[in-house]
Amino acid sequence: MDFYFGLAQLIGVHTLLGLSAYIVLLTGQVSLAQAGFFAIGAYCAGMLTVLAGWPIVPALGASALAGAVTACAVGFPALRVKGLMLVIATLAFGEGVRLFFFNFDYQIAKGDIKVGPLGGEGFRQIRYFPEHGWSTLEVMLFVWAFVAASMALLWWFDRSRYGAALRAVGEDELAAQSVGLNLTAVKVSAMTVGGAIAGIGGGLYAHYTTHIEHSSFNILVATFAIAYPIVGGLRNVFGTLAAVVFVQAFLVEGLRDLGDWRNLLFGALIVLAMNLRPQGFLGRRRRA
Amino acid sequence: MLDFIQSVTDGVLFGATYALIGIGFTLVFGVMHKINMAYAAASIGGAYAGLLVLKVTAAAPPSLVFLGAFVAGGAIGYFVYLTCFHFIPLASPLATLMSTVGMLLLIDEIIVHATDGMPQNYPAMFDDVMLRAGELTMRGDLLLVFAISVLCMIGLLALLYRTRLGLATRAVSQQAVAAQLCGIRVGRVNATTFVITGLLGGIAGALIGASVGTLSPLLTTPLTVKGLIVTVIGGLGSIPGAIVAGLLVGGFENVLQQFRGVTERDLYVMLLLFAFLIFRPGGIFAPGSGRD
Amino acid sequence: MLELKGVSRHFGGVRAVDGLDLEVRAGEIVGLIGPNGSGKSTTVNLITGLFPPSSGSIRFLGNDLATLPTHKRLQSGIARTFQNIRLFGQLTVWQNLWVAQNSPEDRARRGFFSRWLGGQSGVREEIGKLLEFSGLAGREDELAANLAFGEQRRLELARALATRPKLLLLDEPAAGMNAEEIAALDERIRLLRARGITVLLIEHHMELVMAVTDRVVVLNFGQKIAEGPPAAIQADPVVRKAYLGGEA
Repeated sequence: MDFYFGLAQLIGVHTLLGLSAYIVLLTGQVSLAQAGFFAIGAYCAGMLTVLAGWPIVPALGASALAGAVTACAVGFPALRVKGLMLVIATLAFGEGVRLFFFNFDYQIAKGDIKVGPLGGEGFRQIRYFPEHGWSTLEVMLFVWAFVAASMALLWWFDRSRYGAALRAVGEDELAAQSVGLNLTAVKVSAMTVGGAIAGIGGGLYAHYTTHIEHSSFNILVATFAIAYPIVGGLRNVFGTLAAVVFVQAFLVEGLRDLGDWRNLLFGALIVLAMNLRPQGFLGRRRRA
Repeated sequence: MLDFIQSVTDGVLFGATYALIGIGFTLVFGVMHKINMAYAAASIGGAYAGLLVLKVTAAAPPSLVFLGAFVAGGAIGYFVYLTCFHFIPLASPLATLMSTVGMLLLIDEIIVHATDGMPQNYPAMFDDVMLRAGELTMRGDLLLVFAISVLCMIGLLALLYRTRLGLATRAVSQQAVAAQLCGIRVGRVNATTFVITGLLGGIAGALIGASVGTLSPLLTTPLTVKGLIVTVIGGLGSIPGAIVAGLLVGGFENVLQQFRGVTERDLYVMLLLFAFLIFRPGGIFAPGSGRD
Repeated sequence: MLELKGVSRHFGGVRAVDGLDLEVRAGEIVGLIGPNGSGKSTTVNLITGLFPPSSGSIRFLGNDLATLPTHKRLQSGIARTFQNIRLFGQLTVWQNLWVAQNSPEDRARRGFFSRWLGGQSGVREEIGKLLEFSGLAGREDELAANLAFGEQRRLELARALATRPKLLLLDEPAAGMNAEEIAALDERIRLLRARGITVLLIEHHMELVMAVTDRVVVLNFGQKIAEGPPAAIQADPVVRKAYLGGEA
């Protein structure tokens, strides 16, 4: 049973990652930076609980804030960069974050061992959950509380004028400006919300895996982040969730027997999926 | 000071390979207005495929391996075109992007599987030759890398500007629909673009393998990022831009490695990209802003 | 209401608009005509702020627009429609209208939170009226992309009205319409004036321009070559020459 709870935790955290990319994608910005915000959230929350003894919820709040602030800072220069250039710029940003953590040491002594991030070795012993006696079930429910809250928030956005504004900007920036929408405000706010969600996701990730390192936040993760909403379709948040379940449950875990071949299959399946259903699982086909 | 010039020289010579990769990215962007994220991986894949020549004849000269990489690169390029660009409708740019990323992952994994994750030695030519120019030493193999790259670039430019195919390619890149109405087979031009960039990529991969001495699947990610950085700095769609930017990044990177070490080096290349994005987002050869 | 003085716009060597003086007074319906390439669309783009003029000034209600970005000009009472319809195809009819409610009046009515994240009930009446005006009542939940061409044009007009404009720039609204639709358009433009909206109409359909405008301005090669009531313009030899070429 623990195995399934663990899988559910993974799906939950990846859904947060996907949702953070979803809201940014709505505005037409393809961002490979979400893994970077995820990483920042992970290290931030980990350091707060391990090095500063914070309880988990405030630590997650701080990681959401860290993710949001970084995303906001990225959001402004991102405005100057159009289309595919933004993909490259955010890719480079994500890599930059990863390289930063690769070089990042901050250890303090706790008793007779040293704890904290140690460059390439990563950040081990993020043991808040075990130390406080959380069962796997409890961790899973905790993770999913945040997933449900994020999905509810984005669902609410989607039904509101803000959501319509996000999609209007994503569809036609000129027309959006010409009805009085402030492009900067819309795009940067979406990026900021995405950063906050990614930050929480990262914080949760750090705590349930107990060990994070720079390679946990590489291009593959950045790709997963945008793959979920693209493969799931941008119609609503459930598409992203469906894509995460499909990829993680069926592909990665279900094909576990195939061992090393599942990564190969993952790549091939994305190519196939995009050829067969370019609008995503739940997307509407665009009228030609 | 001498160390500095030496670093720059070595870097610029090696940077010719980045220029080739940058050209590949930028050419596909110019013609199809899409990015082929799998390009760098495909190039490394081509280089690996070149090694198959050695499986056939263990004593094959390096030039044959390079030729193998060249041809394999072209074949892989065509395959990428078919799977990621040919069938996906133009109205779904995200789908194309994702499928090229999927292809990138696929190629990576194929390489890992085929080689069991072990780095492979790559044959080099003239690696024991050293040329002296005053106080500077230039490695023979790097000079060869540079020379072959330059030859490829000249060949490409000749193709683009002196042949009918090149003319058709330039037409499609400017106005695909109008080109179609003039009887140009756009699908064929696109496929050919992929084959040509694939050929260039295969050679670039082989040259990288030759100058580093080994090939490993770990090369694909940094090469993708650097190739994209070169493309952006040079200006998306500009071949001269990619050439200049490739040499620039090569030199810059090597100097920084010399003085700040390998781990920090890549961070600085990233910063170079951000500097360009902020101050000159169009790239070195930014096209003038035209009529809306 | 709107005043362009000596406005020019160059694109490289091309003088798309050259030393244009244009005035639109409150309550007027002014037509802007000219052969293709005469600078009509560029003029509209300059007014809405898509790009700045190379020289000259543009004033609206006495205020210089130079420092205002596009979305702010829109919020200050200028609205436009597009030559090639630019609706938000993937949004519903309702959402297209809803998203355009960015005027100061709308901002004063509801707080920030309620305006952006609140439900639809607060604006049901307003949007309902816009739907009535454009004959799209009952179609709120359809995707804009699925509407017929004429319906899309009407929706685009309604969307422009949702911004509560004082001045409406109509960029070739009759393009692609048949005679019946043009008659309906004529009717709607008069209704707009009755509501107190000033209209600048860029058009090629001469019958519509002659029928509905108070005053016509003629452009050629970016310069104003004639101005006056429709009948006078129709008879003007300079205008004839510009359109037909050669001897009038």
